[in-house]
Amino acid sequence: MKTNPITELLSSVCRPLVPVLVQTLGTMFTEILVSLLIGGLIYFLVMRNRNQVLKTKDGWWGAGAPPDGEEDVSVRPFKISTSDEELEDLHRRLDQTRPVASLEDSQFHYGFNSQCLQKVVSYWRNDFDWRKQVDKLNQYPHFKTNIEGIDVHYMHIKPQRVPQGSAVIPLIMVHGWPGSFYEFFGIIPLLTEPSDPGDCVFEVVCPSIPGYGFSEAPHKKGFDSVCAARIFHKLMKRLGFQHFYAHGGDWGWLVTTNMAQLEPKTVRGLHVNFAPPSKPGLRVTLSIMLGRRFPKLFGFTDTDIQKLYPCKEKLVVESIKESGYMHIQATKPDTAGRGLNDSPVGLAAYILEKFSTWTSRDFRNLEDGGLTRKFSLDDLLTNIMIYWTSACIVSSMRFYKENFGKGLDQPHSRIPVVVPTGFACFPNELMHTPKLWVQQKYHKLVSYTLMARGGHFAAMEEPQLMAEDIHKFVRTVEKKTKKQ
Amino acid sequence: VWMLSTGGILACMVHKRRQVKTIPLGEGWWGAGQKSLSKDDNIYSFRVETSDKDIEDLYERIDRTRYTDPLEDSGFHYGFNSTYLKKVVSYWRHEFDWKKQVEMLNKYPHFKTKIEGLDVHFIHVRPPHRENQKVLPLMLVHGWPGCFYEFYKIIPLLTENQDGVAFEIICPSIPGYGFSEAPHKQGFDSLSAARIFLTLMERLGFSQFYLQGGDWGSLITTNMAQMKPQCVKGLHLNMFLSRRGFKVLLGLMFGRYLPFLVGLTWEDVRRLFPYFEKNVWEILRETGYLHIQATKPDTAGCGVNDSPVGLAAYILEKFSTWTDLENRALEDGGLERKFNLDELLTVIMIYWTSGSIVSSMRFYKENTKRNFDNRVDQKTGIFVPTGLAAFPNELMHCPQAWAQIRYKNIYSYTFMSRGGHFAAFEEPKLLADDILQFVKKVEKP
Repeated sequence: MKTNPITELLSSVCRPLVPVLVQTLGTMFTEILVSLLIGGLIYFLVMRNRNQVLKTKDGWWGAGAPPDGEEDVSVRPFKISTSDEELEDLHRRLDQTRPVASLEDSQFHYGFNSQCLQKVVSYWRNDFDWRKQVDKLNQYPHFKTNIEGIDVHYMHIKPQRVPQGSAVIPLIMVHGWPGSFYEFFGIIPLLTEPSDPGDCVFEVVCPSIPGYGFSEAPHKKGFDSVCAARIFHKLMKRLGFQHFYAHGGDWGWLVTTNMAQLEPKTVRGLHVNFAPPSKPGLRVTLSIMLGRRFPKLFGFTDTDIQKLYPCKEKLVVESIKESGYMHIQATKPDTAGRGLNDSPVGLAAYILEKFSTWTSRDFRNLEDGGLTRKFSLDDLLTNIMIYWTSACIVSSMRFYKENFGKGLDQPHSRIPVVVPTGFACFPNELMHTPKLWVQQKYHKLVSYTLMARGGHFAAMEEPQLMAEDIHKFVRTVEKKTKKQ
Repeated sequence: VWMLSTGGILACMVHKRRQVKTIPLGEGWWGAGQKSLSKDDNIYSFRVETSDKDIEDLYERIDRTRYTDPLEDSGFHYGFNSTYLKKVVSYWRHEFDWKKQVEMLNKYPHFKTKIEGLDVHFIHVRPPHRENQKVLPLMLVHGWPGCFYEFYKIIPLLTENQDGVAFEIICPSIPGYGFSEAPHKQGFDSLSAARIFLTLMERLGFSQFYLQGGDWGSLITTNMAQMKPQCVKGLHLNMFLSRRGFKVLLGLMFGRYLPFLVGLTWEDVRRLFPYFEKNVWEILRETGYLHIQATKPDTAGCGVNDSPVGLAAYILEKFSTWTDLENRALEDGGLERKFNLDELLTVIMIYWTSGSIVSSMRFYKENTKRNFDNRVDQKTGIFVPTGLAAFPNELMHCPQAWAQIRYKNIYSYTFMSRGGHFAAFEEPKLLADDILQFVKKVEKP
């Protein structure tokens, strides 16, 4: 009989131990059982969270009760239009604005500077050509379709030329507040007609969140980001897409994240440029407390340290300085938006203040708010006109109350995202999120790019950089899926 | 020697605590451009005026309002309900008579005088009969979104003889509010307003006087009492906040079950608890306006200065919610339960015709600039005789035990039976009675 010397050694060691082991097991039976149970429970909870899918129910947002009969699933082409009356009314209101002089030397620290506002209004009144902009808006095909009782507006851009052998990749892009579908006008051609032959070719769907722009506003309470996500899923299905990529910033980030949580198998990849941690978990808190001393422990780079510390100044004071609008919109949206729906100048000041400060905080020190350094007045005013002509400012603000009103501990903030994710970290974004924090929620972070320039309205401000990152991300995911 | 020195140290400490501390007066100049060399101390008569053109412009803007439907069954939870707003606006457009209201405003004599570069507006009401009674000067200071007009119902009750006491009323508008010129320079906070009002009383020839205030008026009159306690015979407040501190913390922890241990009464407990719900969540829900006005007042005020309906919704929402939080569940916000539309719209018209909404909002930013708790007035106590009226529906309740941390000389603390934030406007009789009983206590030889 061939005996393995190692087995011999082992058995000679173990044999005397066996009776001891059996005896210990017998006495420690309960403790072992309990620890197995606890271990099992932890495993169960962890695995449950990992595989949990966000649940949702259908809703009805139209006025009154839902009608009997079949749902109207038709897709109708839509053209943006204007009229002489609309322009005359606007001009009259612009002429009758009652400006208040800003305090001496206050630049943008008290809000939108009155001298800068005067220049904007003068351009708006005398040089801005809304009819020409409407033509520009109509260069892409627009549609409306009724989902859950409200008309949802979207643009659907198919690529003109598809190189031989390439697949066309569907991509939904969702805007935020105070933006609109128009933010993506600069980036769409870079995605549907890429110059680089190695790049993917996208088919872009660009909806307006219900309550924003040309999408009808919900008539019932409770329309939050999960409802928007569900509606956009229905939209994509109605257009015949079984799988697609999603991109979003600001509210678009949350809506697309919810889309990935609702149907992880449908969303092939998620690309975001804004990802504030929804719950300050243990990892995030520890990293804030110890990150400065032990950056390597949390994977903090020099950029992270520079942007996060001193943390009281950068995370607390800055947030308080800039979140007044969020506080009032999350509590009294109907009051906050009331005056802005009558006063185009008030609306412009309110919205353009964000385009100044959220592009770079340093712009608060400038008399002109640095507004035209990164955007043209035509683009900025076109965005304002979308809010003005659709009179959607109040319903756009209600979205804040619907999302924050129920508290921060929503089911979607507890469920992680298991879809491949790409994060573009722009240097002047409102809140800097280091890789560790993004990974807390996005368990499959495929790419984390430190972008060279850009702020909150990244797609509008740096379309080239953003398009490059989207291309890079999608290529990575496609390669990985092909491998599998 | 041991005991003597300990005794001595203790005596010093007690003496120091009793010693009346003041805060520095400071100085300022708020006019446009450079400070002018000439000084104009005169007091000029002023009349509130209106014109057909003003009214036509108002009507035209009202007619152009673009309403948004409210969400179904939302009451006042999302802010001012649009359906009810249309009713208010319809009254405003077709029945409200501004010319008549202006005449009513002019029934008391108005004045303006230049202080620190700004035209300060005030009304000065003398009691009709001055014989055989003590006439005591009293300054009433309003807050936001109020104005001098809030006191029009209480003035007749204070200027008439009550047990030999009658008041001579001075009622200014805070610079940046109503008919007082708005500051052109940054930094105009409650300390500056307090100093300007002290100058006003001096200019009118009063060396000793009483003060009454709520909302910002409460902070400004408190500052006045801290700057020149020798001039302030008594300070009466219908809104007062406590400092955070150990005593407050203990009160929060044990107050609900052992109130007497921490100096609270059962009424205090009823008004304070459940603490988190009442004082944290409710405050969060109701302070959005404070947050945006304290950070971006120019932006917040821009739209409402062009849209009278927007201005009305913004301001009247406070008159609804701050009178009773339960009003938020009502479709009409319970506005007309305690006020009538004529008086509410008069307040709005004062903000509208003077175009002062933006400057009124800036006051929030000026007062929350640096760390507020470290401001000199927050670290100093108030030593003049103080009367506190605690109204049940005021935004935050402050028990006497906590008020005593700062107000060292409380003569009277009354649990009022009814009323909210706009006490003088809503319950003038109750407030007048409380002011009178407080003043009598102070005047007792």
